[in-house]
Amino acid sequence: MARKLTAPLILVVVAFLASAGAGRGQMLQRLTVEAFVLSADTMQPQVDEPFHVVVTLHVRERVSAINNLQLPMLAQLELLGDERQTVTDPRGTQYREVVTVVVHAAGRFTIAPATLQAIDARDGKPKQWFTNDLPLSVRSSPTRIASGVAAGLFSQIARILAALIWLALLVGAALLAIFLLRRRAPVAPVPAPVAEPVSYQRVLSDAQRRRHIIEDALLVLRAERTRSAAVRVRAAVWRVIGAPEGETLGDVLRRPGCSEGPLRDLLVALERSAFTYDEDLAAAVEDACAALERYAESLT
Amino acid sequence: MTVERQPSDLRAALAKTIVGQEGVIEALLLALLSNGHVLLEGPPGLAKTLACRSLAAALEGDFKRIQFTPDLLPSDIVGTRIFDQRESSFATVLGPIFANVVLADEINRAPAKVQSALLEAMQERQVTIGPESHVLPDPFVVMATMNPLDSEGTYALPIAQMDRFLMKISVGYPTRDEELQILDRFAMADTQPVRCVATLDDVRAWRAAAHAVHVDEKLKRYIVDLVAITRAAQNVAVKSAGSASLKAAELIDYGASPRATLALAFLARGRALLDGRDFALPDDVRAVAAPALRHRIGFNYRLATENVSADVVIDAMIAAIPAP
Repeated sequence: MARKLTAPLILVVVAFLASAGAGRGQMLQRLTVEAFVLSADTMQPQVDEPFHVVVTLHVRERVSAINNLQLPMLAQLELLGDERQTVTDPRGTQYREVVTVVVHAAGRFTIAPATLQAIDARDGKPKQWFTNDLPLSVRSSPTRIASGVAAGLFSQIARILAALIWLALLVGAALLAIFLLRRRAPVAPVPAPVAEPVSYQRVLSDAQRRRHIIEDALLVLRAERTRSAAVRVRAAVWRVIGAPEGETLGDVLRRPGCSEGPLRDLLVALERSAFTYDEDLAAAVEDACAALERYAESLT
Repeated sequence: MTVERQPSDLRAALAKTIVGQEGVIEALLLALLSNGHVLLEGPPGLAKTLACRSLAAALEGDFKRIQFTPDLLPSDIVGTRIFDQRESSFATVLGPIFANVVLADEINRAPAKVQSALLEAMQERQVTIGPESHVLPDPFVVMATMNPLDSEGTYALPIAQMDRFLMKISVGYPTRDEELQILDRFAMADTQPVRCVATLDDVRAWRAAAHAVHVDEKLKRYIVDLVAITRAAQNVAVKSAGSASLKAAELIDYGASPRATLALAFLARGRALLDGRDFALPDDVRAVAAPALRHRIGFNYRLATENVSADVVIDAMIAAIPAP
């Protein structure tokens, strides 16, 4: 899929990244996670047509806010709005975040899982939960197809189709009216099917999840070769490998699997781009991009 | 072909003579690069003197050792003026402080007035004898040692004197393997002397390079936060030997001075240069934080009554500040 990023899109992505990193400094909450799901109102959005990505979290505890919830980096998407809602009832707390987005190019891509860091109230251990990922198939807009092929012919067909739809709607309305008039006793409401809760412990392909995030990070860093972008990408990569805030590179390199190979190179390169002097920044970011690429390749 | 000499060459040369004690070797090099002085605390026989002597030899610089004793006088250190009867005038005799590397052995065995004789030398890099001031050689590094076990007949170092030391290193015993190496290396009658690997001009060039090492704004804030927490550690919890939870602030009378802030930045720059980088990292700051802070914090009597180690308190304060 061709990935073209426009300047406004980059700004939005970067702003979104910043908001994703905002909660890092907060203490881990003690939570009993019952459901943690990523969904969208359509899995086949159309180019340039807004749709919603929804993160839903249910915890047993009654809390006023959810800390340390990280949304995925939505590098392929333009962010149009973000609405958060926290509802507390006797059964716990329901957190719902609705992100309105739009995509500008057709193709297939996957939104990486959202993550939540908290102390598991069941066993008192700090853990990281992941939602499901979200594979999307972006279709070209019908209006674009029409303009590209045979606009005249299509408009004629469209008129016929519209007439047929109107006819069908009229017939449907008439049938519905007859049905309602003939109905004598109210029918007991059928309970809405309860959706199978997505287990928060669902095992995702760790390599796949990391790859999505690393690819997004690469897009961000290529688009904005600044210190602040490098710092945010560094933070995102640290989250991917489960390194908590406040550790130094030395601490992170002592973690299992971090002390060698492309991941080590990536961590060192990002550290340089975050702390080197201004004249060296361009070269440092270039190295970091190359290291991100190598690490993403190593995850295949 | 000219090969540019690096500080790491000096480290390698010292490591050939001194087994283990990487912390001491690094501290000596950092003091040299940062134009500072080091206080070494540890029991006798841990190669403190050998390390200082080796450093001077590796630099082809002058080395002087001053054994601090209760009857030592300030003039024994800085020098004095003697009346020359033939010339009918006073002549100045310079003391052992005039050297590139000065080892002040058992510095706490001399009273405070003698220790204070070092103050001007360490801070101003000059000494005043009579009406004349004399500039000390450059580089000038004081390595002072203290024995923590033998407290009889010792004098506590004044706060102002302690603050002049860039860092304080606790010298520990070698590991079993290192001690075996020591046995093998020093069993030979003629141990290899340290080869000269750099000149005093090299040291001056390294110092200029260290001064130019970049310290990012995030790191500067981290340094300031690390020093600030030593003055207000109400939220830092420490476990006593009896597992009671204490606030670090309850154990501290006074925190580190702004000189500690400068010291942390100097040392982080030096460590970056030793590692071959021209920019400092959070790892550099964290690695030098304890040596730069431990002698600048005034602990009260509760540290002893609660049986808490000063280093445990310092480590807790360092851990309380997240690295950038």
